Amino acid sequence: MSVLWTWFFLILATYPWLFVADLVSSTLASSGLNYFITGAALIAPCRRLKRWQAVLFAGCVGFMFEAYRPIPNGTVAISLVTLAILLGNYRSYLRTNLGMIQAAVVVNAVAAIIWFTASAYLCEAPTDIYNSIYQGAIQGTLSGLMGLVIIMPLATTQNWIMDLMGVPSAQDLL
Amino acid sequence: MNNHQKGAKASYIALIVFVFIWMWGSSGLHRFTKETFAEFQAPALQIVSKGGDLARYWELKSRSNEELIAASRDLARINAALELRIHSMDDIRRENARLRENARYTGNSEFLTVVARVISRDSSSWWQKIIIRKGRTDGIRPGSPVVFSNRVIGRVSAVHLNVSEVDLVTSPTFRCTAFLIGDEKRRIVYVSGDAANSLSPSKAKVTAIPVDYNPPTGQPIKVLTTGLGGVFPSGLILGEVDGSIRMGTDNNYKVADLNPAKDLNMIEEVSVLVPQYPTAHEILLAPSEKIKLEEFK
Repeated sequence: MSVLWTWFFLILATYPWLFVADLVSSTLASSGLNYFITGAALIAPCRRLKRWQAVLFAGCVGFMFEAYRPIPNGTVAISLVTLAILLGNYRSYLRTNLGMIQAAVVVNAVAAIIWFTASAYLCEAPTDIYNSIYQGAIQGTLSGLMGLVIIMPLATTQNWIMDLMGVPSAQDLL
Repeated sequence: MNNHQKGAKASYIALIVFVFIWMWGSSGLHRFTKETFAEFQAPALQIVSKGGDLARYWELKSRSNEELIAASRDLARINAALELRIHSMDDIRRENARLRENARYTGNSEFLTVVARVISRDSSSWWQKIIIRKGRTDGIRPGSPVVFSNRVIGRVSAVHLNVSEVDLVTSPTFRCTAFLIGDEKRRIVYVSGDAANSLSPSKAKVTAIPVDYNPPTGQPIKVLTTGLGGVFPSGLILGEVDGSIRMGTDNNYKVADLNPAKDLNMIEEVSVLVPQYPTAHEILLAPSEKIKLEEFK
């Protein structure tokens, strides 16, 4: 199988994780929180894939998050693509385990705050600005924690697919 | 400049070009991507929901015959009571038709009922929605009211091939006119969803309550739909006023919090009321179809 299609098979391998996160959000809907892991899904592909493949993967994952949610079209997708390009500039650091975990926490929290702000803009709900910041901080913190918890199992699945497709490992690329 | 830096620069330029294309691209492109990714995920949602139904089926099948006999006996009694009620409804329906004819009232508010299972719930501070297991192929149309018994759950906001999205009463995008129980003048109030706080129950709010409105003592204040606007049939329960009715910030009207009529986080099945005829909104959004417009006039 051509390495060119790795990004697509990675999406198929990552989707169950995103779906389980949606199911957890659905089960715990009364908390009013979204258990967001979409940002953390970018890290392992950005360590090993070519830049264009990582960008394509990030765009698709972003559009998947947006599909059933009232967010201005393309906001999350374009944000994730931007984050994927930025991550591409720090690949050598990202290829260490510590770098990967730090990136998962930061990228997941940043992506969550972006969707939270974008959906507030679309919602036009006239609310107290300090309360909105507080709510955003709760969601951002939760997303950071989710990134920390999920990165290892998620990256293991994604690495397994990339190994199958013959993509050089992060250690080889160091 | 090495290859890595050149690649990074090219990526940023490509991203900027893409953002411009996306911003000025047609809405058709936006709709296409949204619909494609929604349809990609729909089968997984359906499988999980049907798996849940199958588990429930086997759980029910494991029950003893005695339990099933008792349940069927109870159902038979309920059926008998409902049949009596249907007979009395026939008389009311005939009387209603006669009065409509006398008043030459041609407005038609009949709905087809489509029962749908809830697949998933999605909530944040800025939206409260559910996804239901019926879509375009089942005749669901955007804007259709969603109810459970005589209680309002929300309104269909987007329809896909086999699933639909429903904005709940508590979603900030939900708006509806209503009457308050106990207001003899039947003045119209305004119900809208309220941006929720995380880790606390979501609520709606009632605004434009007249200053001289006196709530009935000793009973909950129910909020009912007016039927105005042709979206919701009249007399459905939106919920009950929660806590006290207080003065609004502009001192012209009172406001109150509204508890939804049904626990929206526990609901498993809903009914979608699909209008039998095109609504005013649908006709006005399709100006090319002159025949429909004439029909509406």
